[in-house]
Amino acid sequence: MSANKLGSVMVVGGGIAGIQTALDLADSGYYVHLIEKSAGIGGVMAQLDKTFPTNDCAM
Amino acid sequence: MADFEPTIIGFLCNWCAYAGGDLAGVSRLKYPPNMRAVRVMCSGMVHPDLVVDALKEGADGVIVMG
Amino acid sequence: MNIELHTLAEVQNVSGEEGNFTVTVKKAPRYVDMEKCIACGECAAKCPKKVDDEYQAGLSKRKAAYIPYGQSVPLKYALDGENCIMIQKGKCGACEQICPTQAIKFDDKEEILDVNVGSVILTPGFKAFDPVDLDYTYYKKTPDVVTSLEYERLLSASGPCAGHLVRPSDGKEPRKIAWLQCVGSRDINRCGNGFCSSVCCMYAIKQSVITAEHTTGDIDQTILYMDIRSHGKEFDKYYESAKKGGINFVQARPHTILPGPDGNGAIIQYADKSGNMVEEVYDLVVLSIGLQAPKDAQQLSQTVGFELNKYGFVEATSFEPVSTTKAGVFSSGAFNAPMDIPQAVTDASSAAANAAVMLAESRGSMTQDKVWPEERDIAGEEARIGVFVCSCGTNIAGTVDVKAVSEYASSLPGVTLVENNLFTCSTDTQDLIAAKIKENNLNRIVVAACTPRTHEPLFKETLKEAGLNEYLVEMANIRNQNSWVHQDNPEKATEKAKDQVRMAVAKAALLQPLSKMSVDVTQKAMVVGGGMSGMTSALGIADMGYDVVLLEKSDMLGGNAWALSKTWRGEEIKPEVEKLVAKVENHDKITILKKAMLKTAVGSVGNFVSEVDVDGETKAVKYGVAVVATGGKEYKPNEYAYGESDRVKTHLEFDKMLDSGATSSADSVVFIQCVGSRNEERPYCSRVCCTHTVESAIRLKEQKPEMSVFVLNRDIRTYGLREDLYTKARQLGVIFVKYTLDAKPQVSASGDSVSVKVADPMLGGRELDIKADYLVLATAIVPNETKELVELYKCATGDDGFLTEAHPKLRPVDLSVDGLFVAGLCHYPKPLDEAIGQAQAATSRAGVILARTELPLDSIKSEVTELCDGCALCVDTCPYNAISLESYEDKGKEHRRIVTDKALCKGCGVCMATCPKGGVEVNGFTMDQLKAQVTSALAGL
Repeated sequence: MSANKLGSVMVVGGGIAGIQTALDLADSGYYVHLIEKSAGIGGVMAQLDKTFPTNDCAM
Repeated sequence: MADFEPTIIGFLCNWCAYAGGDLAGVSRLKYPPNMRAVRVMCSGMVHPDLVVDALKEGADGVIVMG
Repeated sequence: MNIELHTLAEVQNVSGEEGNFTVTVKKAPRYVDMEKCIACGECAAKCPKKVDDEYQAGLSKRKAAYIPYGQSVPLKYALDGENCIMIQKGKCGACEQICPTQAIKFDDKEEILDVNVGSVILTPGFKAFDPVDLDYTYYKKTPDVVTSLEYERLLSASGPCAGHLVRPSDGKEPRKIAWLQCVGSRDINRCGNGFCSSVCCMYAIKQSVITAEHTTGDIDQTILYMDIRSHGKEFDKYYESAKKGGINFVQARPHTILPGPDGNGAIIQYADKSGNMVEEVYDLVVLSIGLQAPKDAQQLSQTVGFELNKYGFVEATSFEPVSTTKAGVFSSGAFNAPMDIPQAVTDASSAAANAAVMLAESRGSMTQDKVWPEERDIAGEEARIGVFVCSCGTNIAGTVDVKAVSEYASSLPGVTLVENNLFTCSTDTQDLIAAKIKENNLNRIVVAACTPRTHEPLFKETLKEAGLNEYLVEMANIRNQNSWVHQDNPEKATEKAKDQVRMAVAKAALLQPLSKMSVDVTQKAMVVGGGMSGMTSALGIADMGYDVVLLEKSDMLGGNAWALSKTWRGEEIKPEVEKLVAKVENHDKITILKKAMLKTAVGSVGNFVSEVDVDGETKAVKYGVAVVATGGKEYKPNEYAYGESDRVKTHLEFDKMLDSGATSSADSVVFIQCVGSRNEERPYCSRVCCTHTVESAIRLKEQKPEMSVFVLNRDIRTYGLREDLYTKARQLGVIFVKYTLDAKPQVSASGDSVSVKVADPMLGGRELDIKADYLVLATAIVPNETKELVELYKCATGDDGFLTEAHPKLRPVDLSVDGLFVAGLCHYPKPLDEAIGQAQAATSRAGVILARTELPLDSIKSEVTELCDGCALCVDTCPYNAISLESYEDKGKEHRRIVTDKALCKGCGVCMATCPKGGVEVNGFTMDQLKAQVTSALAGL
């Protein structure tokens, strides 16, 4: 184990899981690098029309 | 009535209807320019007095969207 | 500001170890300068090259200059280097010529970055199964067979047919649609995917429900399924309402799809429940495609150095569900196993918790907080309004006459200065606005440009930089809600823009500085419930360095887990419970209160105070957040001869016999599923019982292969990788028989045996009469009583008694009251690994609040005025329970008025709309301000 731990985290993937992970960490005092392979974050959830059971817009 | 151009006051919830209005723009949809939008933080904040005042002051219609 | 987003980026190499990794990241060129791009879209409009649009699942085209979708983050265009004509052939350059901000960079190069981080979290998602190789589906060979992802786009208002559902072959609205479940899932023979994708049943039901909403008149919708797996919270209710709504559910796995007559639609052939061949023509067939491990899973596992399971998902244990086999590397979401959105969001917070715990000593060492100049006091000043009208290149100026609007703005009362900018949002304009504020002593700003939803934060910052209160800005949305939608009518658009500016100026004149609000945070947590979930959360929060008080109602930690034998992965549970109990009991940051009951709770996020009864003695506890993990229990049935014969057992009772080997004398065992679940009284699925039964059945068969084992079920719901157990059970000869609610099994017990009668649909409804040595009832999980707790905190439960989360998809661990989190069985029945995952997620969510000494609040809040007479009309209407009544004395007389809790208030203003006398207002949206907008909007009449 290294003596000095860094207060930063890399999150690989900018879908809903990556976004939530990044937000939680940044909001709790860690610097986050969010890596996304496409030109924008959002992942598959951004492609969904609606989500149940509320039938809310997925966006 | 064919050339009737109504003036409509719209109360738009910031989180849904107003956001929808923005998205209509991003998608370059077209709609008539008759509504004047008042952004509110929730359609629940629209006091009945505001609706009545709008109609008294000459609005042809009021739409509350949220 | 503490998230650095790297798009078009991939991990190339990882070196170092837990706490100190060096990650090499390769960033592909974007060919667009993100600093300069203002997302006007001119480049895409001019770009001559059309490419399949991935966002629209290839159903329509995008340009080589593109944004992935309308609401992309970052909202910056990119050139697709593989398809751009200029980059490929050196000719074209149309986008460069049209770009108003010179943002196009054809010479952009690939970048290699070395990034040092303490931990790596992998969330690459999944790869949707491609059915093109499954010949029987005729996918891509006939147009009206589409995948569920394509169908999602066909339904979407932002999709290729703008939400007006049409089928691909002839553009007609389909009237008869079929969904084929398990395409690329639960199929070892044709694609090697033995697992269940967990989400397809629900998305198919959702799509059918939405389809019914999108179309008019009669529509015939059929879902062809093997088992409906609606095992999530509120899912069965949704399924039942879909059935009532007329959607047909047919149990069948079709083996043949053929093109329909004249190449339109498709024909499906299948054997129905009783083995008869059926052939049906459908207008459209949707393939419910499964979720596979992501394409780059193998490569990622090699680069980073962790193991995958046989299906390519991350190998993990039930006790550390988001830890990879490499220390310091975690994973979340569908990379761990196929899962739905709430599960992925929970998983995400769980991974965050693990990293946060590991790096607790370095928390805050690399993050920054911005410092602002001191605010100028504008009290008593006349309004001096500065109006900035944006041309947005040609986005606004192409339709709206911005010069005319600017001139008009100068004539409005209170306006001191008007500027027209090419791009009001650009960095140099921010400097200009700040300079103008100082030069002209402006005290209110109006920006007529795009939408406040994306840009108000930017202008607020500019005001703060210039020493003005951030709430002194108002925007007029003359782009998204004007020039972009009224392109065909420049005259009316200009008229409307003038009205919008006049309305904004009218409101701006009435804007008041709002004071920054915050609440101090008690950096201490309370955890209610000492089962596995509660202990996991308590340990995580304590390991982050915060004090925790753990309440347990009994005199022993561990809860239900003591009664459990093995996880579905086959891991022994008791040793892990012992380890966790020891860690919790020996942690110097955890105070354990046994025989403890919560008596009171007051306060709100950051500052709660409770009295706790500890074995008859009352103790006061102050805390900033609480995790509720009050658990659940096995339902004790009153049917199927339970209690009449000692041969009829519940799962937990039978487990003890399995563990002791007492079951090996039996020759025949029957399991009945859904005992107390999925019925009128308890309409939910208890989620864990199918897997539990299948595990037990396997153990019986392994103890004694010749034993007859029957499982009477309604649907087998061994979701995700648990499906392997179901396959194994069938291979071992366990017999699965379906029954329905209106033909439940009949049980009679006498002496040492039990007789179970059930009609087998596979045998044309013939009755089986099974003599069993044991009957095992897979009974429901019911929540422990939470009525008092719910009343204390004013949170909520659903009809079934499970605590209700703040949002079913996006905030699955937060309760509706800020500062409260939920984990384990009190939220919904779930297996141990998911309970531990949710408990870790609650740790992370709690950590977000505990990490700060004060919690900033938005200043858009309701505030009582002197007109309030304490009539209390608003108290009950407040959806956040933020309003209470107080008494005060004035001139010797007793009066009442309301008080609002700023931490609970969300500024929705329902109180303001309810109040008949102006006794309560929302700052920033007062009645005067809204009235001024209405009056000014109508002033032109």
